[in-house]
Amino acid sequence: MTSEDLEHFAENELSLLETLDHVLTLGLVVAGEITISVANIELIFIGLNLLVGSTETVYEVLGKRLQNLDQSDLSTQSPSR
Amino acid sequence: MIRAIPMDLYAYCLCQEMEGGLLETVSGVAGAKPFGLPYEGLVAVVSELAGGPITVTRENVLAHERVISHVFARTTPLPFRFGALLRPAELDNYLELNRTALLAMLARVRGRAEMSVKIIAQPGSAAVAQDPCMQPSLRGEGLGQGAMFLAAKQRELAETRMIEERARETASWLAEQLATVVKDTCVRLRPTGGLALKAAHLIERARLEEYRERLGLARMERPELLFLTSGPWPPYSFCDLTTRSHDR
Repeated sequence: MTSEDLEHFAENELSLLETLDHVLTLGLVVAGEITISVANIELIFIGLNLLVGSTETVYEVLGKRLQNLDQSDLSTQSPSR
Repeated sequence: MIRAIPMDLYAYCLCQEMEGGLLETVSGVAGAKPFGLPYEGLVAVVSELAGGPITVTRENVLAHERVISHVFARTTPLPFRFGALLRPAELDNYLELNRTALLAMLARVRGRAEMSVKIIAQPGSAAVAQDPCMQPSLRGEGLGQGAMFLAAKQRELAETRMIEERARETASWLAEQLATVVKDTCVRLRPTGGLALKAAHLIERARLEEYRERLGLARMERPELLFLTSGPWPPYSFCDLTTRSHDR
């Protein structure tokens, strides 16, 4: 990333990224009670290194959900032939 | 004890004292009205919310931050991470279990704010090229396919090593530059890609301007580094209970 790349982000965009970085990855956590879902993935997946932490958090949540979905699909699938 | 409420509670932050009417003009996640729940020297800022997952949308994230910022304008709270939806009894239990640690954290951040610094080192810089490991032969010149693969791997490892070393050096340099004004630091080295490190500094609110000036001087000293600074924030990086033992 270069300073030119950074300049492509308006101040309010950087402000939003910083807000996401703080709000989604830091702060007090009540174990087992974080219940978020991702309806608007493009909000998070901006592809900027600044958001590595947030993206990881989202993928962690998404991954678990997809895994649960897969298992649920498998368990409800009837043998096909 | 916290009064019984039939709905789930969405938690924003914790503080020690709150002026009456402070939350009257702010709306929270899903448009719900936040309010303070007192618990033995602590006040939990929450809003009632019907059960179900909290969707990560721009509106919800900003609503979470808006409520915390509103409180932060008057006092320094301990913010909850986005998505803390719990039953009243669970919040009650959490506060009971962690009361002493939470009060200690509130004392630590009282009158202070978090400033965030991200430092981006540009990849492919001269420092990597000057690494003695980066001999012409290791760049794959005049080698067969197998040797070229090994040379590429070695080059990759050398670059990673250089970036890690640079991240550590940068963290140490930054700490030295800001030592007189920073009360507490939380640094995460990110020696991947271009991001060298993320640092959070806990600063006395009255000394924020001095901090900015010192950081400005530091930036001038290292023009090869890109800085992204933001703040003041509520102390998001300074409320990790996982590293502390419970009160009982």
